[in-house]
Amino acid sequence: MLQYLIILLDDTSTSFCHYKNLKTKQCLIPIETLRQGIRFGMMENLMIQFVFPDCELPQEHKNAIETIDHSKIVSSLCEDNVLRADADVIVYHDWTELSFGKFENDKSYVLRTTKDDFFDRYHSMKDALGKVVRLNIVLTDVEKFDDEDFAKYKQCLSQLSDDMIAIYKEGKSPQLNILTDRLMLDGMNNCNAGSESITLAPNGKFYVCPAFYFDDEADSVGDLKQGLDIKNRQLYKLDHAPICRHCDAYQCRRCVWLNRKTTLEVNTPSHEQCVVAHLERNASRNLLASARKFGEFFSGKEINEIDYLDPFEKRKEW
Amino acid sequence: MLIKEDIHPWQSGVAKNITFIVTKDCQLACKYCYLVGKNSKERMSWEVAKLAIDYILDREDEFREESVVWDFIGGEPFLEIELIDKICDYIKTEMYRRNHHWFNSYRFSFSTNGINYHTPKVQSFILKNHQHLSIGITIDGTQQKHDLNRIYKPQHEKDLLERGSYDDVARNIPLWLNQFPEGGTKVTISSADIPFIKESVLHLYSLGIHEVNINCVFENVWEEGDDLLFEEQLMQLADSIIDEGYYSDYSCSFFSEYIGKPMNRTLENQNWCGAGMMLAVDAAGNFYPCTRFAQYSLREKKARIIGNVNDGIDKNKLRPFLTLDRTTQSKQECIDCDVASGCAWCQGENYDAAETNTIYQRSTAICKMHKARVRANNYYWNKLYRKLELEGQRDDYEKNKRAMKQKLC
Repeated sequence: MLQYLIILLDDTSTSFCHYKNLKTKQCLIPIETLRQGIRFGMMENLMIQFVFPDCELPQEHKNAIETIDHSKIVSSLCEDNVLRADADVIVYHDWTELSFGKFENDKSYVLRTTKDDFFDRYHSMKDALGKVVRLNIVLTDVEKFDDEDFAKYKQCLSQLSDDMIAIYKEGKSPQLNILTDRLMLDGMNNCNAGSESITLAPNGKFYVCPAFYFDDEADSVGDLKQGLDIKNRQLYKLDHAPICRHCDAYQCRRCVWLNRKTTLEVNTPSHEQCVVAHLERNASRNLLASARKFGEFFSGKEINEIDYLDPFEKRKEW
Repeated sequence: MLIKEDIHPWQSGVAKNITFIVTKDCQLACKYCYLVGKNSKERMSWEVAKLAIDYILDREDEFREESVVWDFIGGEPFLEIELIDKICDYIKTEMYRRNHHWFNSYRFSFSTNGINYHTPKVQSFILKNHQHLSIGITIDGTQQKHDLNRIYKPQHEKDLLERGSYDDVARNIPLWLNQFPEGGTKVTISSADIPFIKESVLHLYSLGIHEVNINCVFENVWEEGDDLLFEEQLMQLADSIIDEGYYSDYSCSFFSEYIGKPMNRTLENQNWCGAGMMLAVDAAGNFYPCTRFAQYSLREKKARIIGNVNDGIDKNKLRPFLTLDRTTQSKQECIDCDVASGCAWCQGENYDAAETNTIYQRSTAICKMHKARVRANNYYWNKLYRKLELEGQRDDYEKNKRAMKQKLC
């Protein structure tokens, strides 16, 4: 069931996920399209998430946005200081920016990073982790991981786990998606684009998620006039994903855009996405064990030991 | 008492099928042919073939199947007999040199229109490789039925008269059956062929062909009333096979004890089609999960390339094929169907007909034809069993009944 409507306010709206937004020319969503999008969200009972560009919006757009309960996703580089202060999610595209960041308790933070930057600079995350309530790491090149990268990622997660223990000892309990989300979940909690969320682009057309729009504007799934028209919609749901429905890396993003890009099917993840998610899952398991040496921690929660990193390898047992 | 049913393909289930699309050219322009992009330009070079063979044989640890079927397809594969001969010599030499586990468990397989079967080059190749060959000649039945679809492609733009190929194929059938007495033929049924089914199968039996593999096309070509006409033809065929006693020595794949039953959604959830477990390579050196995903086979969609002879196979692109199951790609109506077993599909046609670029949407164009087949099939087995009972042969039959499963395409 649809629950979220993501509205891209401009062609240069910041990316907050795996995809890159290569558009540099501003193209603001027409005010009437914005109003119709908001009306659509209200009538379908959807929670609206606005994704802002770095430039300031016209006042009538700001006024329209405030007519509905919503979340604001804003880049750390946004020129509008008032908006940055009012944002629900701040997106960092750069580690240096993150290290200078001033963090607030009512915000979540996203850091988009390449794997190589992550391997080089993950040590510097400890300082930010001590100051945030929630930090999401988004690896922008998951599909490029190789065996050497998997080993490095495992090592990084282990070190971050030690950092988290140290932070817990200070009485703080920040959330870091790649380590702590799995601790809190009892079932798959994925992106669910196309199933639970849908995106409205500045051209008035719907897309499965922003990445589908930025990849190919012709790849729409309906528009504001005709309504949603998602062909083979069942394939975006977990029960139609043969690998994922057997998986317990519950924190995995299960990015349908990456799926399609790497395997040509929205319901099938790549080997790389699966292994990265399982390294995180296993790191969460280790974190759970380490934290329990110092006291009660997520009592009742257990994460089983498994002998694989890619559930595809177990397909004959399903 | 044995009743002849489908013969298992050689090493079915344990053999890797590797297909060389050696040419996209053919002497014929069959009306039902799914190859919409046939042409005389895309002929495989020796260099590409060698790269493909080396790629596969270099990776013995990845291609672990017990056996291998090296399949040659076109267009018409025997148009490239010299290349094929060179490929087969190289494969044999390399498998021996590498002490490859396939060396004593391989076959070369051909599906040919039969027109060039008698030529010296083809015959020389057959003599050289006879023990490791499977060759099927496609003949559609009576001359009328055969020539309805299997016509020569026009030589000139002004050629308005259709020229059937029956005579040129039928003359090679005795030679073929002499060399391959167990040879089977493949018959394809489209809407216009339905009235000729019974007489065609019986005609093929009369030519000495004991195994007739026959199926309806998967494409959405069926017209109102085709199912009833089809059912009637199969009932008449059933009467003839039983009344004239063909059932003990001849098979027709339309009749099987294992079709027309409900299917358990958990225990019988495997995919029908073998796409992804096969590997096809074309003249450009591109790899496909089956030939049906090459561009010349697709009407609506882009080719589904999973790698090439230089860069290798992109295993991520194989994952959807290797995890595909019956229920995930089927509508609820198909999952709940009371006569689901034996209802076939072609993954390539599913992909081509799907509303999005997916292999996970099963085409149901064949539904009413399958249901008609099931009704006629039920009639066949009820009639045959009653006859066996009356002749006191039923128990004997049950004891000797061979285990068989449906044949993959």
